[in-house]
Amino acid sequence: MKNLPRTLAAVGFAIAVLLGAWQGARVRHLRESERFYRWILAQATRSKLFAGDIDESDQQRLDVALYEEIAQTAEPALPDVAVGDDDVDAAGKPFSKLTLAARDDQYSSLVFELASGNLLAEQRQKFLQYSKEKKISSVGSELDPNTMYAEGANVSLGNIFFGLRQVAANFVWLRVDKYWHQGMEQRMIPLMRLCTSLDPTFVDAFLLGAWHLSYNMTAKMPDTPEPLKEWNEKYQARIGDKELYYYIAIDFLKDGIKKNPRNYKLYFDLGYAIYNIKMHDYENAVTYLKEAVRYPHEVWVPRMLNISLEEGGWYEKALTGWQEFLKRNPGNLTAPRFIVRNKARIKEKQASEAAQRAKAAEDPAVAKAEKAEAEKLRDEAIKIYESMNEGGEDPFAVARIMKIKAERLIENGLYLEAAALLQNARWKSPDSWDEFTDMMIQAKIDGGVPLDLSEKKYVLRKEEAQKYNQAANKQKPAPVQ
Amino acid sequence: MSEVASFFRGTWTIALYTWREGMRKKIIVAFLILSILSIVGSFFLTAFLSQTTGSGMEVDMQAKQIKDIGVAVISIFGVLITIFISASVVPNEVENKVVYTVLSKPVRRFQYLLGKFTGAQLIIILNLVIMGGLFFIAVYMKENIMPTLLLWSVLLTYFEFLIVSAFTFALSCAATSAVLPTIGGLFIYVTGNLTEYLKDVSERAGQTELWLDKMTGQISKALFYILPNLQNFSLRHQIIHLAPNDPPRDILLPNLIVYGLSFALAGYLISYVVFFRKEL
Amino acid sequence: MSAVIETQNLTKIYEASLRSQDVHALQDLNLTVEPGEIFGYLGPNGSGKTTTIKLLLGLIFPTSGSIKILGSKNIGAAAIKRKIGYLPEGAYYPDFLKGEEVLKFYGHLYGLGGADLDSRIDKVIETVGMTRARKRLIRGYSKGMRQRIGLAQALLSDPDILILDEPTTGLDPIARKEIRDILSGLRDQGKTLLISSHELLEVEMISNRVGILYNGVLQTIGAVENLLTQREVLIHITEISGGLVAKLDTAGLTVEDATDVRLSVRVPEHISVYDALEICRAEKAVIQSIAPRRETLEELFVRVVGAAEEKKTAQA
Repeated sequence: MKNLPRTLAAVGFAIAVLLGAWQGARVRHLRESERFYRWILAQATRSKLFAGDIDESDQQRLDVALYEEIAQTAEPALPDVAVGDDDVDAAGKPFSKLTLAARDDQYSSLVFELASGNLLAEQRQKFLQYSKEKKISSVGSELDPNTMYAEGANVSLGNIFFGLRQVAANFVWLRVDKYWHQGMEQRMIPLMRLCTSLDPTFVDAFLLGAWHLSYNMTAKMPDTPEPLKEWNEKYQARIGDKELYYYIAIDFLKDGIKKNPRNYKLYFDLGYAIYNIKMHDYENAVTYLKEAVRYPHEVWVPRMLNISLEEGGWYEKALTGWQEFLKRNPGNLTAPRFIVRNKARIKEKQASEAAQRAKAAEDPAVAKAEKAEAEKLRDEAIKIYESMNEGGEDPFAVARIMKIKAERLIENGLYLEAAALLQNARWKSPDSWDEFTDMMIQAKIDGGVPLDLSEKKYVLRKEEAQKYNQAANKQKPAPVQ
Repeated sequence: MSEVASFFRGTWTIALYTWREGMRKKIIVAFLILSILSIVGSFFLTAFLSQTTGSGMEVDMQAKQIKDIGVAVISIFGVLITIFISASVVPNEVENKVVYTVLSKPVRRFQYLLGKFTGAQLIIILNLVIMGGLFFIAVYMKENIMPTLLLWSVLLTYFEFLIVSAFTFALSCAATSAVLPTIGGLFIYVTGNLTEYLKDVSERAGQTELWLDKMTGQISKALFYILPNLQNFSLRHQIIHLAPNDPPRDILLPNLIVYGLSFALAGYLISYVVFFRKEL
Repeated sequence: MSAVIETQNLTKIYEASLRSQDVHALQDLNLTVEPGEIFGYLGPNGSGKTTTIKLLLGLIFPTSGSIKILGSKNIGAAAIKRKIGYLPEGAYYPDFLKGEEVLKFYGHLYGLGGADLDSRIDKVIETVGMTRARKRLIRGYSKGMRQRIGLAQALLSDPDILILDEPTTGLDPIARKEIRDILSGLRDQGKTLLISSHELLEVEMISNRVGILYNGVLQTIGAVENLLTQREVLIHITEISGGLVAKLDTAGLTVEDATDVRLSVRVPEHISVYDALEICRAEKAVIQSIAPRRETLEELFVRVVGAAEEKKTAQA
C-alpha cells in the first residue's frame, strides 16, 4: 500500500514507453511513406520529362518497372485528371493518372494517402527493399536526413551533422562564392555538388550552380567550331568543350528537379536561361516552362513561356497564352503589345505559307489565288505592325514590315534591294538577326550578288554544320516506340 | 480550498519559483545572449550573397542561410539550456536544503516533482520564445512575409527538447549533484540522435552464426523500437523550406507531438519512481 | 494527554555501498515529546539527531519501528504536515526574493492564500520581529535576519509542533536571546517545540525535557531538573595551613583551584558539608563562602557521552 504510488508510476512508465514505441512505429511508417511519396513524385517527373535521358546504370530499369506497377495499382483510386495536349509520352501514349496527379499540387494529399495507405503497401515494401539493396536510384527524403541523395554512396551523412547539414551546405556555398569572386571556377564545381549532396533542397545552389556552369565558366570560351565538335553518346549530340558545360548545367538542374519537383525556379532556369537563351532549343524551353507554370510561380514566368512559344514559332499558342495572361493580370502593360505582335506574326506566317503554296502550285489559277491570299495577309500583317508604331516607333514592328517588303522584292526579282532592306532590318531588330541574315544571304545568292567575306564564312559554317549533323543523325539510335 | 485546487496551487507555486530562480542563472543568460548574437551575426555573415542568374531571376541566398543558421542556433543553445536546467533544478535544491523546507510542508513528492518539471519547462519555453521570436523577426525583416512555418519549427524543437528534458530530469532525481545529470543529458541527446544506427546494426547482425552476433542483432532491434529517436524531429530543420502544401509534414507534425509527449511522460514517471522513496 | 511525537523502536540503517559498511544511524529509538513542552534533542555530531528529524518529517524512511505524530501513524498526510513547522539548519532562501515573498511562497505551499495568507504573514513577521525588513531582499539580510525569516516560514500555518534544527547557531548573543524569548513565548502559547542544538546552555535555559543521543542510541531522556541531579556544595577557603589539603583529600573531598593562599573544596552530595566545615575549622582555615552548585547540562552531556564511549570501547 505504501508503495502503491510508486507501483502505479512504474506501470504508467511502462505504458508511456509502449505508447511511445507504438507512436514511434507510426512515425517510422510515415517517414518511410514520405520517402516513398517523394520517390513517386521524382519518378513521375522523370517519366514525364526525362524518359529519354540515357542512364548507363541499369538501376533505371527497376525504377521504371516499379513505378509502372504502382501507377497501375493506383489507377482505380485516382480521379480523372485533366489531360493536356502534351501530356503524352514519346510514343504518343497518355501519361498515367498517377504521373498527372503527382505533378498537380491539388492531388498531393491523395498521392501521399496512397503512398502511406494499404493499397500500395506491397509496392511500398518493395520500394523499401529495393532501396536497401540499392536496386533503385537513390532517393532522398526532405524530412529524413539519413536518406541522402547519394547515388552509389553508402554513407548516412545526416547523422554526422546531427541535422545541421543545411548549415554545413550553407558554409560550403560561402566558399563557392569566394572562389567565384576569385575567378577559381574549376574549384567551384566539386563544391557545388557537395552543397547539393548535403542539402538536396538547396534550390538556390542548383540555380546558381547551373548559372556558373552555363554562363560564367563559358563566358570567355569561343563557340566550338564544327570540325572540333565530337559526338557525345550521353547527350546524343555533337558538342565541344563550351557546349559540354551547357549540358552539365542541364544535368545539374535536372538533378535539382528530381529532388525538388515542385519548385518552379528550377524548371524556369532550365527552360529559359539554358534551353532558350543559351541553346535556342525552344522545344525544350517550352516543355520546361510549361512545367514551371504548373507550380506556384512569379508573374513573369508565364510571360517568358509565351515569349519562348513565339520564338519557337508557335504563334497561335503564344497568342492564346498572352490573352489568358492578360485576363489574369488585367493591368499588365506588356501583354497587349505581345498580343498584337503575335497576331501580326500569325498573319505573316500564313502569308509565307500561302506564298509557298503559290510557288508550288502547278495550276496557274491556284498559284494566282494563293499569291493574292499571301498579299492580302501581308497587308493585314503590315497594318497590324503599323498599329504598333502608333505610340512611337517600335523597332520590332518596323523590322518586320521591312522583312515583308523584302519578301515582296524577292518575289519581284529585286534581290539587291531586298538584301539592302534586310541588312537595315536586322540592325533595327537584333532579335531577328539570324532570320534576316539567312534571308539576306539567300537573296544575294538567288540574285547572283557576290557575298562578302563574312557572309561566305557564314555560309560555309552552316554547310559544314549541316554536313556534320547529318552524319550525327545517322549515329542516333531510333527513338524507342 | 478543495484538494484538487490545492494540489495545482502548490505545484504551480513551485513551478513559478523554479522559473524565477532558473531565469537568473548566469549560464542560461549567457547561452541566450550567445544565441541572440549568433542570429544577428548571421545577417552579416551572409550579406552580399545575392546573385542574378542567366534568366534574370534574382537568387537571394541570404534568406535561406539566415533560416538555416537560425534553426541551428536554436538547436544548439536550446538543447544546452534544456540540459543545464533539467539537470539542476532538483539537485541544487537538495544541496541547499530548500527541498527540506518544501517537503516538510503539505506537499507531496509528486506535486514537488511536477512543479519542478513544469518550472523547468517554463524556462525552456521562454528561452525558445525569445530565440524563436528574434529569429522570426530576422526572417520577416528579410522576406517581408510572416514566416509561420518557423513557428512550427520552434514548436517541434520544443517537443524534442521535452524528451531530453524529461530523461535528464529523471537522472537528476537520482543524483546528488547537477554534474552527472548534465553529462547524462548530453549523452541522452547524442544517443537519441544516433538511435538510427541501431537499425543498421540489427540489419547487419546475424551474418555469422554466432549466438552473440544474433543476440546483438535482437537487442539492437529491440532498443531501436523502444528508445526515443530524436532524428524523427529532423522535420524541424526542413519545415522552414517546405512548400506551403506538404502532406507528409502536415500529418507528421501532430504525430511527432504525441510521440514527444509519450516519451516525456515516460521520463517524468521514471523520475517519480526514482524520487518517490529517495532518501533526502 | 498523549504524546505529540512518539517513536517506537525506530531504527534507521543506511545500507552499505561497495566500499563501505552499513551505517546504523538510529537504533531502537523510543522517544516521546509531550504537548506544550520544549524538548532539547542533543548529541554529538553524527549521533543521529538530523536523521531522527528527517524521519519525523518523512524526508527519509525508517528501516523498522514506527512514528506517531499527534496520534497518527500517517505522518505524510497533509493534515499532519500542516501542524508541523520546520526550520532546517543553514537553510537557503532565494536572495532575489523579498522577505515577505519568501513567506508568500511557503504560505502557498501550505495551501494558504489571499487575505488569510497576508494576515498570517503580518502576524509571523511581527512575532519574529522582522516588520521593518520585510520588503528588503534576502540578499541584504544578516544571518540573524535570515534565521528569523526561517522561523517565520515555520510558523506560517500556526503549527502545533515546531521542529528546529540549530536555531541559534552562528548568531550573536543579542540575537540568540531574542530567538530564545520567541521560542519561550511560543511554548507559552501551547506549542510543542523539538530543538536540536549544540548550544547546551541555551537548551538548558529554555527546555523542559532533553534527550541525549549518542551513536544512534538514546542514552538518557527526561526533565532537565531531574537529569541534573548531581548537586554539590562549593566552599571557598583562605588562610590555608599545610595539612589542610591532605586532610580534605583523605575525607574524599575534591580540592580545586588551589594556590598558596586560597582554594575551593567541592563537597559531593553523599558527604555532609558539616564534616567538611569541621576539617577546615580544625585547620584554622577561613571560610570565605559556601554555595550549592547544580551540574550543568554540558557536564551531564560530557558525562553521558563519555560513559557511552567507554562502554563502546569496552565492547569493542
